[in-house]
Amino acid sequence: MMKPLTPIQPYAPRIAAMFCNWCTYAGADLAGVSRLQYPANFRVVRVPCTGRISAEMILHAFKQGADGVWVSGCHPGSCHYLEGNLYARRRFALLKNILEYAGLEPGRLHFSWISSSEATKFQETAIAVVETVRALGPATGFLAGIRREVA
Amino acid sequence: MARKAKVEAKAPVGAVLVVGGGIAGIQSSLDLANAGFKVWLVEKGPGIGGVMARLDKTFPTNDCAM
Amino acid sequence: MECGRHSDIELLPLTELTSVEGSAGDFTVTLEQKPRYVDPALCIACGACAEKCPKSVKNAFDEGFADRKAAYILYEQAVPLKYALDPDHCIYLQKGKCRACEKICPTQAIRFDDQPKIIKAHVGAILAAPGFKPFNPTVCEPYGYGVIPDVVTGMEYERLLSSSGPCHGHLTRPSDKTEPRSVAWLQCVGSRTTTGAGSPACSSVCCMYALKQAVMTGAHTKGAPDLSIFFMDLRTHGKGFEEYGESAKAKGVKLIRCRPHSFLPGPEGKGVDIRWADETGQEQRRTFDLAVLSVGLAPPRDASDLAAKLGLTLDERGFAKTSGFDPTAASKPGVFVSGCFHSPMDIPTSVVMASAAASAAAKTLAQSRGTLIPAKVTPPVTDVSGETPRVGVFVCSCGTNIAGVVDVAGVVEYARTLPYVAHVENNLFSCSQDTQGRIIQAIRDQSLNRVVIAACTPRTHEPLFRETLMAAGLNKYLVEMANIRNQNSWVHADEPEAATTKAKDLTRMAVARVVRLKPLVEKTLSVNNAALVLGAGVAGMTAALDLADQGFPVTLVERADCLGGNARSLRTTSRGERIADFLSDLALKVRSHDRVTVLTEANLTHVEGFVGHFTSTVRQGRTSLKIEHGAAILATGAVQTRPKEYCYGRHPAIMTHLEMDRALTEGLDPHTIHEAVFIQCVGSREPARPWCSRVCCTHAVKLALHFKEKNPNCRVAVLYRDMRTYGERELLYHKARKLGVLFVRYELGAKPRVSIKNGGVRVIVRDHVLDRDLEFRPDVLGLAAAIAPPDTDKVSRMFKVSTDAHGWYQEAHVKLRPVDFATDGVFLAGMAHGPKALDEALAQAQAAAARAAQILCQTEMTLSGITAQVAEAKCVGCKMCVTICPFKAIAMNDKNLAEVNEAMCKGCGLCTGSCRSSAIALRGFTDQDLMAQIGAMFSDQESRP
Repeated sequence: MMKPLTPIQPYAPRIAAMFCNWCTYAGADLAGVSRLQYPANFRVVRVPCTGRISAEMILHAFKQGADGVWVSGCHPGSCHYLEGNLYARRRFALLKNILEYAGLEPGRLHFSWISSSEATKFQETAIAVVETVRALGPATGFLAGIRREVA
Repeated sequence: MARKAKVEAKAPVGAVLVVGGGIAGIQSSLDLANAGFKVWLVEKGPGIGGVMARLDKTFPTNDCAM
Repeated sequence: MECGRHSDIELLPLTELTSVEGSAGDFTVTLEQKPRYVDPALCIACGACAEKCPKSVKNAFDEGFADRKAAYILYEQAVPLKYALDPDHCIYLQKGKCRACEKICPTQAIRFDDQPKIIKAHVGAILAAPGFKPFNPTVCEPYGYGVIPDVVTGMEYERLLSSSGPCHGHLTRPSDKTEPRSVAWLQCVGSRTTTGAGSPACSSVCCMYALKQAVMTGAHTKGAPDLSIFFMDLRTHGKGFEEYGESAKAKGVKLIRCRPHSFLPGPEGKGVDIRWADETGQEQRRTFDLAVLSVGLAPPRDASDLAAKLGLTLDERGFAKTSGFDPTAASKPGVFVSGCFHSPMDIPTSVVMASAAASAAAKTLAQSRGTLIPAKVTPPVTDVSGETPRVGVFVCSCGTNIAGVVDVAGVVEYARTLPYVAHVENNLFSCSQDTQGRIIQAIRDQSLNRVVIAACTPRTHEPLFRETLMAAGLNKYLVEMANIRNQNSWVHADEPEAATTKAKDLTRMAVARVVRLKPLVEKTLSVNNAALVLGAGVAGMTAALDLADQGFPVTLVERADCLGGNARSLRTTSRGERIADFLSDLALKVRSHDRVTVLTEANLTHVEGFVGHFTSTVRQGRTSLKIEHGAAILATGAVQTRPKEYCYGRHPAIMTHLEMDRALTEGLDPHTIHEAVFIQCVGSREPARPWCSRVCCTHAVKLALHFKEKNPNCRVAVLYRDMRTYGERELLYHKARKLGVLFVRYELGAKPRVSIKNGGVRVIVRDHVLDRDLEFRPDVLGLAAAIAPPDTDKVSRMFKVSTDAHGWYQEAHVKLRPVDFATDGVFLAGMAHGPKALDEALAQAQAAAARAAQILCQTEMTLSGITAQVAEAKCVGCKMCVTICPFKAIAMNDKNLAEVNEAMCKGCGLCTGSCRSSAIALRGFTDQDLMAQIGAMFSDQESRP
């Protein structure tokens, strides 16, 4: 029933993006209003705060087929919920270390802070994330391993 | 004199006119509307936000003015 | 911004006040709304008109650095987000030809025949907040503004720095569009000047904005640019500002104390050649790539016109005339002012003043509260829990905004294949009035119990579709939006296939999520309409009185045996108004108000509950009282510290400012004083207390003037680090200098030396300019003792509110919520927040009252349905969530398991994200919801290699 993706380029990475509602999601909207173009390789899940995102969610995305995960929220100090992004930052720094220790290539998991007015930064980061993951190519090693587990 | 007293006894109109759609006008409008008053907010320009919308970041937290 | 959607705010853009009749309580105002030439009801802000419009205009919003079209929006996040035609530049409106926008507009929203509208409104009060005008430095010839391309104003520089500005966040200078490697700021342009144009007063905000711009420039540019600020006195007197200034210095921002005498064009007309004489008199010159003039704030252009219409008196500088004891009341009853129309002020002060003006106005209209706003009706909701999901998918074309890129028909067909989808349709505009009707009809006809809208962004349109669901009798949380415009068709315009695939993916993800969503209940809580005010200083009394005048019962709790706090020691305000009279009048009003209960010699011992429902225990003598209240205002004040230096306490002539005020009140005769010396920053702006105590410079100048005026032969000296007589207080400083008060600056490393010799006081200080020691033998020595926070630990713990690193109360947001605590229902006022002058404390108290009134005026509060919920069976009682919750909404219950107080939960999901045993679910964003959405992202890829 489901149709395969039409390959636009030789390799189109698939990236799961998780943005907080107040800053980065708004920044992505503003990039739209400003018509700033970027590659169509990621799909966004909107959460109230990056602090809502658990390690399981990121692992789940990788397991389900993400070639990369991009988490982005408010700048430190501007969290809508005071300090949620700070907890998120600590949590993800740990996770990234562990995953990369276990064999995930650096660059598959990306974090950024983009405010609701930083449309240009959003565009630049989007391009950088997609290009980094594209350069890494399809899942190999660690990532292929956890996917086989699921399959 | 008697007439004046009568005017004063009349309940005031439960609405407020706010002139200026900058941060101050917006804050007053929200405070009054949330406190049960009808607000008329007039702004000369085509949209509200005033000068603050034009600022880059604000100190001391350097967060964006939006 | 909430303002645009608030049902009780009639937002009238392009509108000016034309006339006012009537008096306080019953004004009739006439407003004239200029034509927009775009029907806001039809405009979908797609931007097609602006794209097509052939006429480019310098964009005033970007200070003319970029162009916009004659069809335009103010900025991308404008409220209302509706285009307008600029009649001064539109080719059709000017010359009768073109109409390009009319042809392209997908919703036929262009109205060339739009006419001005006259609107009449009845209002009980008028608030004027017309803002300010930045000083135009063209008249200051030595600075070359308008001649040298790389000399810009502070306001222009804001746009150059802004990520949404003309440089898109990559700073370049105007002359050659290269990134500046060196930037100079010149302070006090148009402020603190008595020659030519400009104002003798200080504009209060420029030192901070220059520091901020310097720090941001460092962050926006590569390497370590040379950032230099030429200043006279560094005025970082606000809360946290001094520390910001110090951190700026640490980041390499150079502060040069002098006023350059000339700005000349740099080589090849690029950059600026600045010449100045340094403190030792040496001539210096340097070429900077860019120079920023920190222009002051002047009254708005139409201030006198507006004042005439409103019948207000302006002060000699053109700002509204007000009093220090009722800061927002204008000269005419029923009219209130705030923001920079009052006087130049920064953002937090503007926000405080705005809330204060709201309170002042609300006080006069209290009996008519709620009379002109429609009662809210909620339609009945059908219970759909337990039903198999039946999803309706509405795919929006948004004219051609989506359909021009995405194969909308393809998305519609695809959506039909998704599980649980019972109905799919395509709308030209899903947000239009008639589509709302069709969605409601489809929900009823097809028994839909979930809705997906594939259109624009939920950030602007989710509220609308939630209302639509409510109107159809569905729980409003059962809608999900797939953002296929802002985050798809608009940003992948050249990749229609990829955009179509993405639209299908996003729709599939939205369906996967919506079928798992559960109806959420918005609980209501009754609200106790009484308030508790802690601390009966000027702030506490003012807040109590404002709330009582607005109709709410207030209990005012004071630790001391009398009312008044620190103000009892003060003589006059900076404007010379007598404080004692004001204070006794205020205390009398408080004591005699039938809605205020005053408890003196009383201490708060215990607080329970949350917003709407607090129960506080107050101990007064031997009795304990329980007070029920819905909101609390903490106005616990600050203390003057006891100086540990300058021989304080060893000679009666050495006094703190408060002591000197008291001595003067109690009979110290200024005629007997032949020499008076003041030492500033005694204990402030030092590592132990890094903050500026804000009020002491003005206080010292006031005292100096008092001695000098009473006895012109008196030798008066003020030994200072930076004179911080901000705003109109600068006029006092100016006057003092004119009368011959000596101002001698000292550095932190070379403090004045005080000794007691032969029963007299001797002060020695190094004069920088003369480079020699000066000696004084004063009859009185005034020490500007630091102001410090009182011990607020107990109170802040009881109310679960935060204090900053120094012990000052911490507001929820420095700029936007300056009198709220992060904890709902608790507000702050006065010096417990940070040192401030009496009028500022007063305004803050009124603001706190305005904020508290918004809670107290409700009979019940509706809580959001998106809150956290603990599954007790899974909870292991690790308390991680209790520690992490920013709103202190989670506590351990009697079973030692976590329990969420829904009234305090804000739905951030921090607890959910960090719970080790997955015991906490955030309703609306549960693990299942989000995992399903993430899983659906890839569920089409079986056939992928």
